Amino acid sequence: MNSVTSHVESLLKKLLVALSALIVVMVTWQVISRYVLQAPSSVTEEAARFLLIWISLFGAAYAYQTGSHLGLDILVNKLSTKGQAVAGIFSHLCVVGFALNVMVFGGFSLVDLTMTPIQTSAALEIKMGYVYFAVPLSGLIIVLFGINKIKQLASQIWGQ
Amino acid sequence: GGEQQKVVLRMGHTLDTEHSVHKAMVHMAERLQHYSNGEMDVVIYPSAQLGNEREMVELLQIGSLAMTKVSAATIEGFVPEMKVFSLPYIFQSREHRWRVLNGDVGQNLLNETQKAHLVGLGYYDAGSRSFYMTDTRVKEPKDLTGKKIRVMESQTAVKMVQAFSGAATPISFGELYAALQQGVVDGAENNPPSFYLSRHYEISKYYILNEHTSVPDVIVGSAHVYNNLTEQQQLWLKKAIQDSVEYQKQLWLEGELQALAEVKKAGVEVIYPDKTPFINAVQDFHATFKGTRIGQYLEQIASMNEGK
Amino acid sequence: MDYSGLVLVITFFALLLLNVPISFSIGIATAVTMLFTIDFAPAVTTVAQRLAGGVNSFVLLAIPFFVLSGLIMGRGGIAKRLIECAMALIGFLPGGLALVNVMSCTLFGAISGSAVAATSAIGSFMIPQMEKNGYDKNFAAAVTCTSATTGMLIPPSNILIIYAVASGGVSIAALFVAGYLPGILVALALMLVCAGYAKAKGYPTAARLPFSVVFEKVKAALPSLLLIFIVIGGIISGVFTATEAGAIAVIYSLILSVIVYKEVKMSEMSEILLKSAETTAIVMLLIGASSAMSWIMSYVNIPQAISEFLLTLSENPLLILLLINICLLVIGAFMDMTPAVLIFTPIFLPVAEALGMSPLHFGIMIVLNLSIGLVSPPVGSVLFVGCAVAKTSIEKLIRPLIPLYMAMIVVLMLVTYVPAISEFLPNLFGLG
Ligand code: NA
Ligand code: NA
Repeated sequence: MNSVTSHVESLLKKLLVALSALIVVMVTWQVISRYVLQAPSSVTEEAARFLLIWISLFGAAYAYQTGSHLGLDILVNKLSTKGQAVAGIFSHLCVVGFALNVMVFGGFSLVDLTMTPIQTSAALEIKMGYVYFAVPLSGLIIVLFGINKIKQLASQIWGQ
Repeated sequence: GGEQQKVVLRMGHTLDTEHSVHKAMVHMAERLQHYSNGEMDVVIYPSAQLGNEREMVELLQIGSLAMTKVSAATIEGFVPEMKVFSLPYIFQSREHRWRVLNGDVGQNLLNETQKAHLVGLGYYDAGSRSFYMTDTRVKEPKDLTGKKIRVMESQTAVKMVQAFSGAATPISFGELYAALQQGVVDGAENNPPSFYLSRHYEISKYYILNEHTSVPDVIVGSAHVYNNLTEQQQLWLKKAIQDSVEYQKQLWLEGELQALAEVKKAGVEVIYPDKTPFINAVQDFHATFKGTRIGQYLEQIASMNEGK
Repeated sequence: MDYSGLVLVITFFALLLLNVPISFSIGIATAVTMLFTIDFAPAVTTVAQRLAGGVNSFVLLAIPFFVLSGLIMGRGGIAKRLIECAMALIGFLPGGLALVNVMSCTLFGAISGSAVAATSAIGSFMIPQMEKNGYDKNFAAAVTCTSATTGMLIPPSNILIIYAVASGGVSIAALFVAGYLPGILVALALMLVCAGYAKAKGYPTAARLPFSVVFEKVKAALPSLLLIFIVIGGIISGVFTATEAGAIAVIYSLILSVIVYKEVKMSEMSEILLKSAETTAIVMLLIGASSAMSWIMSYVNIPQAISEFLLTLSENPLLILLLINICLLVIGAFMDMTPAVLIFTPIFLPVAEALGMSPLHFGIMIVLNLSIGLVSPPVGSVLFVGCAVAKTSIEKLIRPLIPLYMAMIVVLMLVTYVPAISEFLPNLFGLG
């Protein structure tokens, strides 16, 4: 389980670095194409927007793994160590529940709707399903990370 | 009891409440209440509260929204055949256009939406789109040479501007005012009411009524919601929509005249160019569709022009 | 609006208090509320669509770039140069070190666009420095936190971009230009409090530096400050859009930090890119989830109900604006700035417009108001970072914070009731 998680995490890191580099190149190219080449590119803007969707969703999964999403811990901090672990399990269960129902189930049905019939984007004319596929996929990754976190907290409470 | 339960249809659009489309939807709601004796009601969400046009079509597919108004240009991402409406100079006149929309071609294209979990319910008038330029007086296509023209994000629009030898620049509508003002683009294109309501006339010296495209608005419904209505309810809805379409056509004409009067009053020079060189410029583009579904529709549409 | 509004609020706060991340609390509360009016499958699919669709915006595209350039600049030894420049310019005035703190935080916040980054970068140097010179550590931390928030108003600013989206199309160029005067006013008001405080406590003042040194220090800081002019000048003159300006800012900060200052190595880039993707994603998930929440609120007509209620309360526009400000101050105390802007703009903007306020003016008001929220407990990211840097607690910070809050609230009232403060510059550049 742990090795799967760390494998996914390191893949995710590489993906995010690549996507971020790509988006910078893309928009810089947009400026160059308009001013230097005098031929405005008609697809870079849409491509960059789709990259942003991917960065946002996969980045959200990564930020969940690193515990970087903002939260309010003033109440939970007043609990005992065990109480904090129980509250932590509850919080991760909520995240996993959301990821499963909304991101994985809702996301897959969204992808399904855009694939039958095929919905294409306006400028690039690519399948919107590819863009939206980031929703269920990042949802699955969040579920994986969440279950791992819950297992760790559980073993902390009930011993190894 | 179940029979008395009111049917609420939720309908969204992206325009403000002064627009003819909104007023026509309000009219539709009134007519529907009338036909159904208060059994059915339409709730309208204006100003893109529930999303942009593309997102609202997705909501129809998902089933969380009942109806929306969407430009045929937006819906072509879902129903590729609709692309025919985005092609330049397919109609010879307003009469020709409505003959096509009310005839078999219009109905067949509405039916094409079924495969996308949608129901095509009718067309609203969206007039014709023409170029407006901040500083360039345009009388024929070659005056557009090298000029940066803002277009909607659509390959058809890009190719059309290229056919007129302009440089198509896709920029979001929200950024367009600033882009025109600052010279990021030299011009854009839209119908008279949008040219007026967007206040782009404040920074454009010329409005060139070359009327290159006439992309209608389409009233679409969610198949998920529509199929849950009884046959009687579907009939009431169709009648209410018909009433609202007639009402909107009238409003649109008035709006167009008023918009043109207002922009002239504000000092915009309105140019009525000879359309022939523009029409000639897009013939090669039309030819690329020969032998495709869209090509077939093009021929059908051309054959319906009685003034020819 | 029946019970859905209540369900939404209660679910959201219950989850928030149980330490469920804010973005997930918003998403879950939204999905649960939807189930009251929409079947399960369409409800969750709609939320999924908002998560992606809420982010699918040309305007928001600027954010990852300003995040990235902020991160590069944060490592590029810019903080040090800005502090030395401020020291040379105003260090000799009464309460000099406190004033230098305000100025450095303002400049750094302006460039990096991040109040949190400004607090940690400037605070970690200035707070110990002030303490060494006899200042109260808690006062020093309070000054750092409050002045770091001016970067929200002084462009480039991600929150102004987010407001542009929430308001449905106020121009970013106009918002950016509009933010200068209010941001500078806040900084000046904070400096006034600092000078008064230092005089009352009899803190020492430093000697005036010779002109040649001042010149040297300003010259050293100039390339960093130039970024503001390139970015904003480019946007105003129409050379590029806000998004493109962001990309230019990335390239500029790379050249500055890697080649000119030589304080960032190219090998660090993948780490910086990862960090920027993470930071961007945190904001974007908040945006996606908030857009789902605004969606369901519109669906059940909550904004309309609140607008109508507010407008029936009083005939007096001054009073209603005061009321809106008080609501926002309370909201800002509990809620992060991004969701607050996205959720409450559709609610309050129509009211403000009905009272004759322009969307541009309202945007500056809401961002300034919620900037105060960044430094008000219990939820305040800037406050948390400030406490961590100063190694103190929020409780100890509250007393020195009070006069600084007062100064910010005075400016907030000025900005609320004097439209010219926000609209003068945009009008001057023909952007209004
Ligand atoms: Na800033
Ligand atoms: Na707060």
